Amino acid sequence: MASKRVWPVAKRPRGAYWRDHGRVFRSTLSHLSRRFATTLWVWVMIGIALALPAALYLLESNLVRVAGQWRENPGFSVYFAPGVSMDEPRALVGRLAAMVEIDGVWLTTPEDALAEFREFTGVGEALGLLDDNPLPASVRATVTADVSLARLSTLAEETAAASGVEEVVVERSWLERLAAIRGVVGRLSWSLAGILGLGAILISSAAVRLAIEARLEEVKVLTLVGAGRGYVRRPFLYLGAAYGLGGAVIAAMSISALLILLEEPLVRLFGSYGRDLELTGFDPMFHLLLLASGAVLGTLGAVVASNQRLRRQDAVV
Amino acid sequence: MGIEFHHVAKRFENGSVALSDVSLTISEGSLTFVTGHSGAGKTTFLNLLLRLEKPTGGRILVNGVDIATLRRRHLPAYRRHLGMVFQEGQLLEERTVFGNVAVPLQVVGMTARDAGRRVRAALESVGLLPKAELWPAQLSAGERQRLVIARAVVNRPKILLADEPTGNLDPALSKAVMGLFHRFQGVGVTVIVASHDTALVGTMGSRVVELDHGRVVGDTEGGTVDG
Repeated sequence: MASKRVWPVAKRPRGAYWRDHGRVFRSTLSHLSRRFATTLWVWVMIGIALALPAALYLLESNLVRVAGQWRENPGFSVYFAPGVSMDEPRALVGRLAAMVEIDGVWLTTPEDALAEFREFTGVGEALGLLDDNPLPASVRATVTADVSLARLSTLAEETAAASGVEEVVVERSWLERLAAIRGVVGRLSWSLAGILGLGAILISSAAVRLAIEARLEEVKVLTLVGAGRGYVRRPFLYLGAAYGLGGAVIAAMSISALLILLEEPLVRLFGSYGRDLELTGFDPMFHLLLLASGAVLGTLGAVVASNQRLRRQDAVV
Repeated sequence: MGIEFHHVAKRFENGSVALSDVSLTISEGSLTFVTGHSGAGKTTFLNLLLRLEKPTGGRILVNGVDIATLRRRHLPAYRRHLGMVFQEGQLLEERTVFGNVAVPLQVVGMTARDAGRRVRAALESVGLLPKAELWPAQLSAGERQRLVIARAVVNRPKILLADEPTGNLDPALSKAVMGLFHRFQGVGVTVIVASHDTALVGTMGSRVVELDHGRVVGDTEGGTVDG
């Protein structure tokens, strides 16, 4: 006895797919507004989970900017032995100035050093009691932006070998610390993003699971009247995306509030060091990325919940 | 849409046998009652047709298609040709009467205007049009059952299945509901009604298939049930 194995699929009316998306969109908004207290609770929880890694990401990107702004400073100071003829410091200035990696060179004679010392310490009169000026000549050099820390060290070592040089101090410790802090903040940011992203998925999953439980009867009816897997799951995926998106909005608002609170004192702090500071974090790309991350994590949570809770219905479907 | 059962058996995982060697043919546009005491296999008979269960033996052909071999992705299309009336109704309480009937039309993606026409026609056919904007909780038991029937027929199914549709109704309402099934048969729908109410079924003048412990023990035309 021959039998066919395929049931003919009737063509759906034109625009049915988008009509269904529109209907699900409206029903999702209705669901969220009818259960606003629960919705707000879920948004806040997801918002907290997203805000922390996002804030750390911002901190890291601001550190990068600070490093960039202060990039002109790296260099080294060369201190000559007391009593060395000024010919040697001048020769060194000439050699350094000829190097392409050197951005600027400044010579400080022992007389200049003494004047500065008097001006800044207020104990300059005491030095007047000495027979000779004890301060050495020094040369300060800054390197161009593309010079690495390793190359900076090599330059300093080469300079230390010059005649009359007693000590070379490389001004890189703060850069190394900044790089280390960036490394820590960066890794912390990604680790927290992983952990709290998982948290956001679980929060969304739990909330969507509750919604599925409340609508199991509807799911059963839909299955029996011929709804496919996508049709049955779509409302829950929309709900998950809405939870994630709302959480991301809460996170963006929290971070913006934090930046507004911190911006003024930070600008003042940097101003005291003679630096301008412009915090990043308000740019549209950051917000877009945050919203997209929230929506994706929320949807993933909904997919997890749907796969877990609707598996039995899948067997029916 | 004709239905053929060829030596169909259904044994559950716990070892209980729901159907055993059931063979029968149900012609297109007919009204068939499946009767028997509780546990005789009536609901399993309908569940197999809905493809909520698969037979463990034999074949079920609907319109020439062995429905046990249908892939999962083809099941929704198959079920859109069926209408199902449950004993407990399975109404969606948070939707109005109109909204409940519109569900199958939303599933197939019909426009709101076309769906509205169909829903009103279905409600009219069961006498519920004046109550379209009410909630299911505001309806009587008989009205709720008629609402379920309206939802089952709104998509113009080729086959209408009903599981104990008069279980909660008084005799007068039961007769009225059975009359509705007669009307749908009259427009070419293949109707299969599972009912334990042999007295009521006997008055309907249609084919009666009697099940007992999963086996067909009677198959008569015209309402006289023999053993």
